[in-house]
Formats: sequence, C-alpha cells, structure tokens
Amino acid sequence: MHKVKTLKQKSLPAVNNSTDLSIMDSNSEESSDMENTISDDVLSDNGFKEEPDHSAGKKRKVPQSNNESNTKKKKSKHNESVKPPTLEEIKELSDTRNLFHSNLFKLQVKEMLDEIQIKPKYNSFISIWLESLVTALEELDDGLLDKCQLEVPLHLNKKSFNFQFIAPSAPPKFIGSATTETLLGPNIVVDVALEMPAACFQKDDYLNLVYDQKRALYLAYVASKLKQNTAFSADKFAYNYHANNPLKPVLEMTPGSKVGSHVMFRLYITTPATVFQLSRFVPWNNNVRPSVFGDKSPKNSNEALPATQHYNANVLFDLTLAQNQTLLLNAFTGRRNFQEGLLLLKVWLRQRQLDVGFSGFSAHILAAYIVYLSQNRLLHQSSSSYQVARTVWNQLANSNWTQGITLAPQQPQQLQLSTVAKYFDVCFMDVTGYFNLCANLPLAVYKAVCMEAKLAVELLNDIKVNSFSHIFMQKSPLYSRMDNFLKITNEASVDQLLQLHVPPHVKYDYANCAYPQLLKLLTDLLQKGLGQRVHAILPLEVSSSPWPVDSKAPVIGRSLLLGLILDPEHAYEVLDKGPSTNQDPDGAAEFRKFWGDKSNLRRFQDGSITEAVVWAAATDAPSQKRLIVKQIVLHLLEHQLQLESNDVQYVAGELDVVYSLTPSFKVAKLQTKLKIQQETDAETLTSPVIHCYDALARQLHNLGDLPLEIVSISGISPVFRYCEPEPTLPQSRLIAERIHASQVLDVIIQLGPSGKWPNELAALRNLKTAFLIQIGQQLETQYKLHWLLCEKGLMVLKQGYCFLLQLAHSKELALLKQQQTERGVITYVDNPASRALERQHYILPKVNGALHALHQSHRAFGPTVLIAKRWIAAQLLDEGLWPSMATELLVAHLFQQRQSPHSTVSPQTGFIRFLQLIAHTDWNGELFLLNFNNSWAEQQVTDLEHSYRSERQSYPPLCLATAYDQKHAGRLWTSDELPNKPVLARVTLLARHALQLIESSLLSERLAFVRPAQLFVPSSEGYDLVIQLKPDLVANTLCFDFGSPFEPLSQRNFRLPLAGSQQLAQIVQQLRAAYSEHAAFFFNPHGGKELAIIWRPANEFAPKPFKVNELQACTPCFGGKVQVDRDTLIEDFKLLLKDFYLRVTTPEQLKRGQREHSKPKRYFNEVNGKPSKKKKKVQIQPKSSRKRLLKSKLLSALC
Amino acid sequence: MTEIEGYKVVPLKVTPEAKNCHSIYMREHFIRLMDPNKPKGRTLFLLNIPPYVTETSLETFFKRIGNVESVLFAAKPGREETAKWYEGTDVPFSNTKAPFKFKVAYIVFQKSSSIGRALAIESIDLYNSSGESLIKTGMELWHDEYENKFILDVAKTQAKINAYMADYDKRERAEQEAAKNSEADADGWVTVGKDGRNAGFEQKESIIGRLEGKLAKDKKTKELKNFYTFQIRESKMQNVVELRKKYEEDKRKIEMLKQSRRFRPF
Repeated sequence: MHKVKTLKQKSLPAVNNSTDLSIMDSNSEESSDMENTISDDVLSDNGFKEEPDHSAGKKRKVPQSNNESNTKKKKSKHNESVKPPTLEEIKELSDTRNLFHSNLFKLQVKEMLDEIQIKPKYNSFISIWLESLVTALEELDDGLLDKCQLEVPLHLNKKSFNFQFIAPSAPPKFIGSATTETLLGPNIVVDVALEMPAACFQKDDYLNLVYDQKRALYLAYVASKLKQNTAFSADKFAYNYHANNPLKPVLEMTPGSKVGSHVMFRLYITTPATVFQLSRFVPWNNNVRPSVFGDKSPKNSNEALPATQHYNANVLFDLTLAQNQTLLLNAFTGRRNFQEGLLLLKVWLRQRQLDVGFSGFSAHILAAYIVYLSQNRLLHQSSSSYQVARTVWNQLANSNWTQGITLAPQQPQQLQLSTVAKYFDVCFMDVTGYFNLCANLPLAVYKAVCMEAKLAVELLNDIKVNSFSHIFMQKSPLYSRMDNFLKITNEASVDQLLQLHVPPHVKYDYANCAYPQLLKLLTDLLQKGLGQRVHAILPLEVSSSPWPVDSKAPVIGRSLLLGLILDPEHAYEVLDKGPSTNQDPDGAAEFRKFWGDKSNLRRFQDGSITEAVVWAAATDAPSQKRLIVKQIVLHLLEHQLQLESNDVQYVAGELDVVYSLTPSFKVAKLQTKLKIQQETDAETLTSPVIHCYDALARQLHNLGDLPLEIVSISGISPVFRYCEPEPTLPQSRLIAERIHASQVLDVIIQLGPSGKWPNELAALRNLKTAFLIQIGQQLETQYKLHWLLCEKGLMVLKQGYCFLLQLAHSKELALLKQQQTERGVITYVDNPASRALERQHYILPKVNGALHALHQSHRAFGPTVLIAKRWIAAQLLDEGLWPSMATELLVAHLFQQRQSPHSTVSPQTGFIRFLQLIAHTDWNGELFLLNFNNSWAEQQVTDLEHSYRSERQSYPPLCLATAYDQKHAGRLWTSDELPNKPVLARVTLLARHALQLIESSLLSERLAFVRPAQLFVPSSEGYDLVIQLKPDLVANTLCFDFGSPFEPLSQRNFRLPLAGSQQLAQIVQQLRAAYSEHAAFFFNPHGGKELAIIWRPANEFAPKPFKVNELQACTPCFGGKVQVDRDTLIEDFKLLLKDFYLRVTTPEQLKRGQREHSKPKRYFNEVNGKPSKKKKKVQIQPKSSRKRLLKSKLLSALC
Repeated sequence: MTEIEGYKVVPLKVTPEAKNCHSIYMREHFIRLMDPNKPKGRTLFLLNIPPYVTETSLETFFKRIGNVESVLFAAKPGREETAKWYEGTDVPFSNTKAPFKFKVAYIVFQKSSSIGRALAIESIDLYNSSGESLIKTGMELWHDEYENKFILDVAKTQAKINAYMADYDKRERAEQEAAKNSEADADGWVTVGKDGRNAGFEQKESIIGRLEGKLAKDKKTKELKNFYTFQIRESKMQNVVELRKKYEEDKRKIEMLKQSRRFRPF
C-alpha cells in the first residue's frame, strides 16, 4: 500500500521541507494566481500531475473574463470572497491527505517535532564541547597505567596486568543519535567514540576477555587524565554500563555549566576494525576458554569448544562501529525526512519502554532498519517523515528477523544468513556482514516490538480514533502491559541458580554476566511450562545507575523482573494434559519428570489415559482461577530450580482482596439454599444473582392474566454487569411486613404495545402503578413471592434478593418532553427530568447489555471496575461527587480501545491502566467515546468531536458518550457538577500518587508489592471537620474493610436496613443540596462511618453587603453588613444528622484522642496490619515518595 | 431588635436552648404587581428560611399571632418563583419534591391586623410549649418518610388510582364530545380534533416538519444540478473552500492543543 503512495508522489518535493504553508499569504500574487485557477486537471487528479499543460492553461485562459464575472457572482452569493486556490495550495492540501493521515495528524506531528527538536544553543554547546575534548585528548602522552588514580570500571575476577597507554591516533567522533541528528530531549545524551590505537593490542588479545580488560583500562586512563584537565574541572565524571552490559563500561560526563544540566556526554572506547580479523568472531568460534573460569577444557582436543556467539558479538560491536556509523551518516545526513521519521520512531519506542537495558530494542536498530529499508527500495528517499515511520511500522509488523536480514551488500561466504540465524534468536547483520545488531535481543522483545508496530499501523488506519496521542503522547510503560510479574532479587538464590542450573557453555557465551544467563534460564523454563498460557514473557529492566569514577564497579544484573502477558483463552485452563502413556511412553516419562509429583495418571472421558496435571477445579471462583499461572510458575521454580516461594515474588491478584467478602461476616449464619463459601468475593457472588434474576424474568414472562404482555425485562443495577463492588448476598428478609435488604436490584420492564394509554402524564403514571399492583398480585398468587409497592416501583423478594421492578413506557418519556410552542405546535424538548427517565429506562438497559457483553469477552473487565470503584469510594468520593457510572464507562473505554497489542487479562493490570488513564488524561481535550458494537458512524464521531472542540464550555469537565446516547452526547453520564473540576483534579492527583506507589514498589529491588491498604486508605489530613456517625446506625460494608482514614476499626454491624431506605445517603444529599455553597462533603459510600467536611475558602465567610438574593445563612454583623456564621451551619448539620451523629470534631482532635486511647492498650510492640497513611496533597517526586513510604512503615511499626 | 434595610431581624429557634440560630429577615410583603395568592396588607415576607423548615411548622407558629390562610415558599423573591418552587410536586406518583435549600416564605394572614403583631415578635420559636421541636428530623423523620411516603399501601393506592382514572375518563370523554360537536365558539373559531369528518392533522413539530420538508424537497428535485458549467465550477470551488476550511479548523485545533502543552511526549 505504501508502495503505491511513494510512487505517486515521486515528482513532489518532500512536504515537511516547506515550513510555511502558503495559503493565506500574499494578495499580490492573486493576479498571477488567476492563471491557474481551478483547472479541472488539478482538481480531478488531486494535483498529482506535474504542472498543468501549458497549452491547456492557455485554452482556459480564453474565457477568463467570463471567469471573473463568475467569481463576482459567487462573491455576492457566498457573501465572502473565495480566493482562487493556487496550484501549490492544492498540492499541499491533497498531499496532507495522502502523505499524512489527515491535516490534523500532520500538524500534530509537526508540532511535536518542533517541541522535541533540541535548541540551537545546545547544538553549539555540544560542538564546542567536542572541540575541547579533541584538544584535551591531543595533549595526552603515552604512559603506564600506574599513574592512573581511578578505579577500573570493570568487574572481572581476573588478575590485572600491566598496560601501557598509547595516545589515540584519531580524534573522538560523534556516534549514534548525534550523527543522525536525532538527539532527543529532555535529557540529551551525546555519544562520543574514541578509538584505541591498534598498537595497544597484541596478537592474542581477542581471547579470554583480555580485550575487554584493555578497553576498560584505557577508559580509566583517559578518564583520569580528563579529570585532571582544567577544561573539564567543573564537569561531573561517572562511569556507567552501556545498555546494562557489564563488559561495556562508558564514561559519563555531565558538564558543570548551566546549559549542561540537560546534556550528558558518554565516552565509548572502540577499536579500529583492522585490529583483529573479523572472521575470528564468527558465531561458532570460541573466544572465551573454559579455563578463564577455572573449568577444565575438554580432554579430547578434537571436540569443538562451545561457541560464544554473544561474546563475539560484543567485541564485534566495537570493531564494526566505525563502518556502521559511516553507513548511518551517509543515509541520514541532509535527509530531514529520515531524521524526523527516526525521531518519531524513537519517541514511539521510548514511550513503550522497549529500548531499556541489556535486552532492549535500541534506537540504533531502528536507525539501521531505516537504512535497510531504503537500501531495499521499500522506503523512498523523498518519503515524508510520517511515511518513514509508517513504512517502518508496516514492515516491522510483517517482518521475520529470525531468519535473518542483512545490511551488507554481500554477505561473507562462510556466513550465510541461514547459518548465522541458528546461533541467535533474532538476526539483523550489519554492513560488514559479521556483526549481528540484534545479538542480545531476545525473541520475545522483538515480537513485542513487532506487535506494537502492528498496533500502530492499525491505529493509523482507523479513522475513528485520534491515533496521534495513542501512538506518541501516551505513556505506556512496559509494566502496564504485563498481567503478572515474577521477581527474583534474592542474591543468594540468584547465585544458586547460576551455579546449579546454568550449563557451562551458556556461561562462556555470556562471559559469565549474570543477567542474560538468568533471563535465558527462566524464560526457557517458563515458556516450556506455560506454553499456550502466555503470549509473551518479557524482561523488565531498569537502566543501571552511574557510579563515581573513584569507586569500584558495581555488580549488576543479579536480579530479574519478568512480565507475563497471558493469553485469556488458555491461561486459566485447569488442566495440563501430557502425552498418552500407551502411545508415547517416553514423552509421558518426560512429562512426569518435568512436572514432578504434581503429575498424575488420569483417565479422561474420551477413554484416553494420560499423564496430566490438575491445577484447580472447574467450579472454582474466577479470582482463584486467575492464580493458576502463579501456581504453575511457583511449582516449576520449586521443582526445577529448588526456589522456595518466599525467595521469589509473584505478583498476581494482589488487589483481589479489595472486592472480597469481609471475613468478619460469617456466611454460615446465612439462611440460604445456595452454597456460598466463606472466602468469596463480589465477582463470584454475581452469578447467583444473575441466575435468580433470570428465574424471575422467566416467571414474569409466564405471568398470565395481565392485560398486556411483558415484552422485555432488563436489569440495570451494576451487579447485572459485574460492576458491584459490594458483595451481593442472598440475605434479604421479610420482617414485620417490611422487606429488609442491603441492596435493591433495579429491573426495568416493558409492556407490549397498546394504543389505549392515556395522554396525560398523571393518568399514565396512575395506570402504571395499577399495572405494578397487578403484577405483584399475580406474582404472589402464581409463585408465592412477597412484594411491596413503593413510590419507586414494585419490590419483589426472591431467594433472598430484593428486586425493584419499574415499568417503562415510551409515552411517559414523550409526555415529559412535550411542550407547546406559542404557535400551538407540540414539540418534544429534552429536560432534566426526561433525560433522567430516558437514561434510567431506555439507555441504561442497553449500556448494561453492552457492558455485560464486554465482560463476557474480557473477563477482567468486571473485577477491574470493582477495584476502580472501590478505590474511588475509598477516597471519600461518593455518588454525589463522582458518578460511579463514569468509573464503569472509563474502564469500559480502556477495554474497548486497542491501546495495547494484547487485551488486559488481570484485573490488577486493568486497575493500573485505569490509574494511568486518570493520571495522564488531559480532561479538557479528551472526549471519551464508547462506540459499542461500532454503531457510531464516522461522520457522527467527527461531528461530535468538532462540536466538542468548538463548544468545550457547554460540555461537562469529564465528557463521556456512548453509542446509545448520541442525542445527549457527553451530557448524560456526567454533568458540570458531577464530577466538578476540583474533584477531577483531586482524583488526578490521587491517581498519580497511587501510580507512583505501585511503580516504585514494582520496579524496586525489594520483594514486596504495594499493600492494598496503602492504596485504599486515604490520608485524613486536609479536612476541616469530621462528623462521626453512630456505628450502629450505619450498616457495615460487606466489602473487605480497610478501616477509614480517621479511625482504624469500626464496630461490626451487619443489621439489614429497610430495603431502599438509604437514609444516610439521603441526608448527605440534603446537606449537599442546601450547603454546598459553604462546604464540601466527603463520604465513603462503602460503609464509611464519618462525614468529612471542608469549608469553602474564607472569603465566602467574609462580611458582605445586604442583598435580598444573597442572604442564604447570613446573620447581620456590623455596619449593615451580613456574614455567614460557621457555628450556625454546624448546628444545622447536627439538626439534620440528629440520631445519626456521634460527635463533631476535627481530624487532629480525632487523631490525638485515638493515640491517647490506644496507648495503654498495647503491651507488645507488634507490627500490626494498621494501614499506613497515604499523603495526598503533596507534589509528587519519586524520591520523596519512596522516603515517605519508608517513613510511614516505620511509623506503623513504632506506634 | 435589629433592623436592616427595612427588614426586621429575628432569630429562628428550633429548640428553646438553641444558641447559634439563623437570622430571619421579615417585613410586610409589598410589590407593585401583586399576586392574588399573596394579597396586599395581609402577607408577611420572610427571608433566609433554612431548608429544613416546613410550611406546617411556620403555620403552627404564626397561628399564635393570628389565623393563617396559607404559607408559601419560593427560592427567591419574584412573581413566578412560588409556582416554580412547587412545580411538579402535586402530580401523583411523580416523586418530585420541593428543593431542599434556603428559601423565602410568604405568610398570608386572614386579617391584616396580624401583620403588625407578627412584626413585633422577638424570635420565631419552632417548638411547642413543652419545648419539643416542630421540625421533625433524624430517625423520626426518616422512619416517617419511609412508612408514609416511600411504601405505598396497596388498597389505598388502588382506591386513589381508581378515583383518579374515573375522573380522567370523564374529562377525556367530555373533551371528545366537545371535539366532535365542533361548534363555533364566541369568536367564531372551530376546534378541529383528530376524529370526525373535518379532522385536521396533529399539530406536532415532527409532522409539520415533515410536511415542510416535503415541499422543500419537491422544489429541489425539480432543480438541475451539475448541468450548467457554472454549477460544476461552483461545486469545485466549494470543494476547495471546504478543504481550506478544514485546514484552518485543524490549525485552530492545534493552536488550542498547543496552549495546553500537549506536544511534549516526555
């Protein structure tokens, strides 16, 4: 496809070269423009013919006078002057349509490139710096290393030898992004290479790591000399490893000047290619003898030594560097389109964090691939930057580098690609044909890059999404794409693994570097054990941190963090079936050996008898099944590698506890026919509810003796779409003629059509109620169900669940909307009441269905919503501040949109992504569209987006629209007040902080994931007042209780309230309605026992002049002015909360009281599960947050 | 006793020992365009009534001064405000409640002499002689709400429905009769219903729109497009204009995005 495009625009100049878009410019040109006015050619061919024929132009010139008169006519018609388009303009316009995705995309790309372009002052600074380095190096003399006072940046257990420094023969050169002019901010890293002269080496230096030692020594010498140089006295010197590779130390120099704060120089030591013969480093050669590590060489000298392909590649990297750089230089110099294309790709890659560390897919590979594509004529010289990026993605998506590709014009005779490919996972040979650019790239990472590229192309092709932000702007750290994590950081166990389980040839191959060995060992094992269950097992690396030049080189890579992307179809299969014992006895034996005593001989229903491993029962709860992979991994580690489960950490389902049933509620006391375990959760408890609802629906359908048939029944409570975080237990009861229930489940009923419904709203509602009474009576006589009529509808008790049936009728909606204009014409206009009714009766059932279907296809959707809802609620944000529907739809948006190549399988990852969405969304610019069933046409989407952009003010701060509410687009689920801007900002801040906590704990070396209590108990600071409620009047939540921010534990009270009474929620609603001008109210709807209050800013309480319309809650003060008195308001709160409130205090008092109260009680200094307080109103910095974490831990241990 | 801008200020006491009380501002109701429901000379106007105060409680209190005809609330002073305040609350089964917020009250006495006495009070005491508050709050209120308003008694409701529907049917029938008879009224206008011989079409926006649309469409179909050269040229011009417009729009969009600094990837 791209081919066609590149051919098409051959004759055109590269678009992005023309910086200014000459559209509105120069009226002076108008007369000349008239000559090539709208000629048919230009328009019909999209301007892709070169110049309009001269003769044709002349022909058209003849009726010019006519033309002019036409324009005049037009002017009068359009009332605006239409300037005839210039040829250039038309070219420009149609170019953007073809070469770029759209105008918007082009402009966005242009803006971003401008933004990331480094400033000229940096460029000049860099070149000046290089000059000073050149002069400094020229002054160096030959000398012995003994004079060097610095440590050698290499950690090898080898004896050192005397080394003579010989001054470099060539000046240092830029390499990498500095040559391709694609330096990328905000922290610019400039790579500089210095060639060691050939004279430094002796004949056998290629063997046994001598080369690496010499290289390090040379670097140390240069470093010590540069440090003494006055020109660099202000600079900061540090060593670091290049790409976490312990054999490749580099010198990092950070200039001391102000400009230098964003620039860092990295000095590499390389060697000329002529020092060693490249053929010494072909993959099958051994260059690290076993004797280096004290192992015995094979006795039989005929036996080939094990190949050290990875070590060889390591050396080749240095040897071939110069040639590869020349190639890149030739390809990129002067080609702004290639450079910008590479920049785009770099941004894309860095946002995905796939370029980090030893196993990363470095930007260098991307640059080489661009050269490869242009060599193979897949990329045209004059492609636009967008096309460069797009072509690379397209090619990458369909590439297969496991067979090998090469940059070399002629691959060396002995090194055919097929031969080389056997030695490496991924194979991309450089210009010499010897060095594999992807030598250290694991297959999984390469595949991941390919998948990302494929996704990028798909996003570009989808016109309905604004792909720009998804591809370039959105941070999608690698860890947020992983479902589960395995972490091994214990050094003792790492050593044990390396010693006992890594075969010697792997050790030689990687020159005993720990990380790649560990990675290979574990990925191989897990891949074999998990098979189809995982899509990918990816390493998550953190760049090594630099160390000062006068201290010893640290040992790195002795820890491993693996991320697992699960395949939802297979990951949770309960059974691993081995080969049949009869037909394949060897295979069966191997299977048994692999799995150990977990494997049993089993007979299956189809009659086969095979070895098999069973991980769980098919009837187990979904949350339990989600731990199958964890079980497998831990078993394999123990059985195969003798790693105990407490030596490693497997992060899966860590947050599942959030929606589990609180242990203090005893299920055994429940009188129900259903079998419910004590350890259950909201997700598991949903299916009995839905079963019961289905049964009720069947009964309703079968009701006889109704004047009209029931045609549709749909549940609209969150539980019907797996989104209710409060466990729904069958515990509703009929006590003294009243239904007691903690939850009431809303069900909407529609009756068959009839023309006899009255035309008056009140009469219609009367009739509806009469219908409900009849339905209730029928249910009682036919099925012996208890029912009660209430003002909202019909409450029906069935199997311990309380359903609330409501009748929907389209005429009611029409009558609500009906208005009569002055002309007597009847129109239908939306108003708040009609909107609420339509939402409840018509849209919510559809959305409910769509979300239910979403849960069926993405099993992690429901639990993710549960965690997200509880998180929002835990921040004291109830329905009156943050609509829970918004949470559901945001999560649905996450699952619907293809933002990552694989769909999320674990709820914990879903929650992390939810936090990311909240933390990084620009609420002002983003419109969340949920295109269920793809029923929204492209035109409608663009129209809505257009109106959203142009009339942003008329839309709520958080704007959500689904395909079922097109008419109300964006105004149905949220409003200006729900959530309002401060709440939105606060949630954003909280999400950022939570994300920080998760990220730091995940990527840290410690074996502890963030505890749920850290995330789900907010800080108690910042509130002015706390009204404590009586525990015996507020029912305890059935959710797992983390305690409130103000008081750690509350009295248990599982008494059932009257069904549908919701007294506390109503009081809070009243308080908000009456006093929101003076205070904000915060309340945890999941069993919160406090009402936290923040007063509005002090100026609201200042004295103000008397105005009849602004007298609310004012008392007269002095001088004819009035003011609002806080104490009076508190009296009002007390009055409204009469019988409910325990006391009104401030958070500080509460805390002090608690401390005094709890001190004498505790005799032992036990570390209890008291949740540490999480601060919220703090500007977040990674370091401080980590400190705070530690601090809070200490606090909880102390008190 | 304080007075401010012609208003008497008195505290509103919910209990005898209440300290931090709301101040009520009152005076005689007087505006030029009088509302018949709030007659001149007999109506007391109160400002800053707390949200929880009910009509009955005020009525009970002011009965001590003189017989009260009615107590009306509104969100703010104004002619239509009272009607707005009570809008929808009298419709059966509508669940609409009057807003819960600070309000103004109009107390209509039966005799104009009561006004002077009312303006002389020291405080508005919303409690009875035994010190019990006239305003129900807390558990009592919520229990009452639940039992009497939320839960509907089936027999009573059914009776109410029957009565209402019978009434509705009567009204409906009368209307139909009137439509059928279609006799000219005093001004000579005849009401045309849906039924009958001279049935008119329904005066709905959709129907009118459809009819008007049809007319416009008929006109359009008769017109020839892409026939004259100038038409073709014009449509092309239009195309260019649209392209340009889109470009300009995108540019503006970018300008807007730029302001929010959305182009820094890191």
